[in-house]
Amino acid sequence: MNKLIWVILFLGLLLRIGIYHQTQLSYPNGTKIRISDRVTSEPVRYPESQYFRLQGLKIYLPLYPEVSYGDRLVVEGEVDGEKLKKAKLITLTSSRGQLFGFRKKIIAFYQSALPADHAALVAGVTIGSKSGISTEFWEKLKRSGTAHVVVASGMNVTLVGKFLVSFFIYFFSRKRAVLLALAGIWFYSIISGFDAPIVRAAIMGSVAFTAIEAGRLSNAWRALFLSAAVMLFLRPDWISDYGFLLSFAATASILAFEKKIKTRLKSVPSIIREDLSTTLAAQIGVVPIFLYGFGQFNLMAPIYNVMVLWTIVPMTMIGMFAGIMGVIFEPVGKLVLLLSYPLTSWFTIVISNFHFPINFQLYNLLINWRLETGICGLSR
Amino acid sequence: MWIIKMKISKSWRYFFFFILLMVSVVWLAVVYSPSPALKIVNCDVGQGDAAIVIYKTTQIVIDGGPNNEILECISNHIPFWDRSIEMVILSHPQKDHFQGLIEVVKRFDVANFLGTELDSSTPDYRVLKELLKQKDVAVVNPRSGMKLRVGMIYLDIVWPQSEFLAQYTEEIKNQGNEEQEGQGNEIPKNKKTGVLGAFTSKRDPNDFSVVVIVKYGDFQALFTGDIGPEINNQLSVNPLIKNLEYIKVPHHGSKNGLTEKLLKAVNPSVAVISAGKGNSYGHPHEEVIKLLRDKEIKILRTDEMGDVQVETDGQKIFIKN
Repeated sequence: MNKLIWVILFLGLLLRIGIYHQTQLSYPNGTKIRISDRVTSEPVRYPESQYFRLQGLKIYLPLYPEVSYGDRLVVEGEVDGEKLKKAKLITLTSSRGQLFGFRKKIIAFYQSALPADHAALVAGVTIGSKSGISTEFWEKLKRSGTAHVVVASGMNVTLVGKFLVSFFIYFFSRKRAVLLALAGIWFYSIISGFDAPIVRAAIMGSVAFTAIEAGRLSNAWRALFLSAAVMLFLRPDWISDYGFLLSFAATASILAFEKKIKTRLKSVPSIIREDLSTTLAAQIGVVPIFLYGFGQFNLMAPIYNVMVLWTIVPMTMIGMFAGIMGVIFEPVGKLVLLLSYPLTSWFTIVISNFHFPINFQLYNLLINWRLETGICGLSR
Repeated sequence: MWIIKMKISKSWRYFFFFILLMVSVVWLAVVYSPSPALKIVNCDVGQGDAAIVIYKTTQIVIDGGPNNEILECISNHIPFWDRSIEMVILSHPQKDHFQGLIEVVKRFDVANFLGTELDSSTPDYRVLKELLKQKDVAVVNPRSGMKLRVGMIYLDIVWPQSEFLAQYTEEIKNQGNEEQEGQGNEIPKNKKTGVLGAFTSKRDPNDFSVVVIVKYGDFQALFTGDIGPEINNQLSVNPLIKNLEYIKVPHHGSKNGLTEKLLKAVNPSVAVISAGKGNSYGHPHEEVIKLLRDKEIKILRTDEMGDVQVETDGQKIFIKN
């Protein structure tokens, strides 16, 4: 019976993706079109341009006026394969949504309180904002295999959920506290850009928190598949999104291998055992995708990760707390945020100055051309 | 019982971590506090101009470069806890000089903005102007003869001249700056009521560049924007420009910039050229390099050295690269 439900669910999903791709509008090259749409993910800011997608088309616009996640745009241009050539901004209506405004304010607050790279790192780990990351800093993150820290994901959801439950429990019944925490998790995931990884984490987190409340054992695997199904049903185009694929591959291989690896690493000092086994487990699922998608992978990534991962949880906590304080009363928020500076400094020093005598870059030569064709830009 | 014990030790651990962070912030703040000397950094921002003049916690930013790379330069040369910039000078509104200033104004508390009324039709300049208004930054319109002090740093404005502006610019009417009308091109009585973008001109915007002498002790440095040969020669007879130690070579070392006359008047020991590696203009031009070499002037180039750092105690010059 149970199996039957899964099979039906799976077939339904295939049907949905199939229909989506069948009905996807496509225009011949050279067609002049005008798109009017809301920006559903954060634009990437390059030194000379900003990049985002509308209706599945890649659009590059001049750096200013600045386009933000949530804005409504009217853009004109010529279809050229996946790209919209000669893109021209006709109108930009800033979203009046409170949530988008709140996100913008927090990012501006980080940028006004810390040096550029440090602010970008804090904004990345706390709310998954990548628009402030400079090209060089992004290169360093990618090269060292630590770019995943600037993605709001499971750790953030767990932190937010746990904090909210333990906060609301003082005022409400347990049931209400959990419900409020769930609302908080979704509120947070919208602020964090609603990209594939945070949506996955929010769905899995919701399942886990609800299960705890219902007194049932939550099965992480089931939660993982459920969230994949729900997400692909709502956004079939995510099937080819690297954020989506990496997030699921990493989570699945952590679920599958972390415990086994940890028991093998008994001789490793306990202080790094946790981070090392998580990283190594995640690599198993992630490496093939990296090789296929980016044609490149640093074998030293686990070592970089072990050196910097311990800073991420305190950095996120300080960033979240200071961000909220900063929006209410800036000077206090700035003081609190300064506490993250030693952590961000350590992180940047490690990934920019720490070089192994041999930096093992594993290349998949056959598909290395993808690097040049710009697919790496997608990962942001 | 053991649960309680663990909880206490855990919150203690958090507490110690918190104290440790506080101590390290203080320690880093001390380590990164600026030395008591005047430091001039010409940032490597590619093909463009961006410089920072630093004395202790006073900073003057002169131009912002064509992109946001000035932010990294600022991070590297200004302590992390100092989020205010005392003055921003924009030599003239062209992208390779103002673009980076948008993020600078956005992210820092800028006290004063010094720039001419000359307008630019690029939409990005409008973004900068609106941002300055929105953040309520005091705007000063420079005129030759103006003397300013920022902390311990003294500034002499030597270009543009009021007569030059009167001759070559037209005022844009109906821009909502009525308070400026009728004052003509005189220096406003209250210096902090300047406006940006009130004038247009048919002349090359380069020739409206703000030229300023930065003074600290006996040390004097000349910042020249992108001024062309004609203005170079006019400046060479200015009595203030005589035997200065340092020159930022005009117009990225273009032959359409520095002239022998000006160089003779300035007679510097150090010349800085801000140009992008392998830029399409071929800056700096061979003629200019030869001019400097012949006078045995030390040439410092951002396209070769990255950020060019020069320090002075008010007497001697130290090259920090």
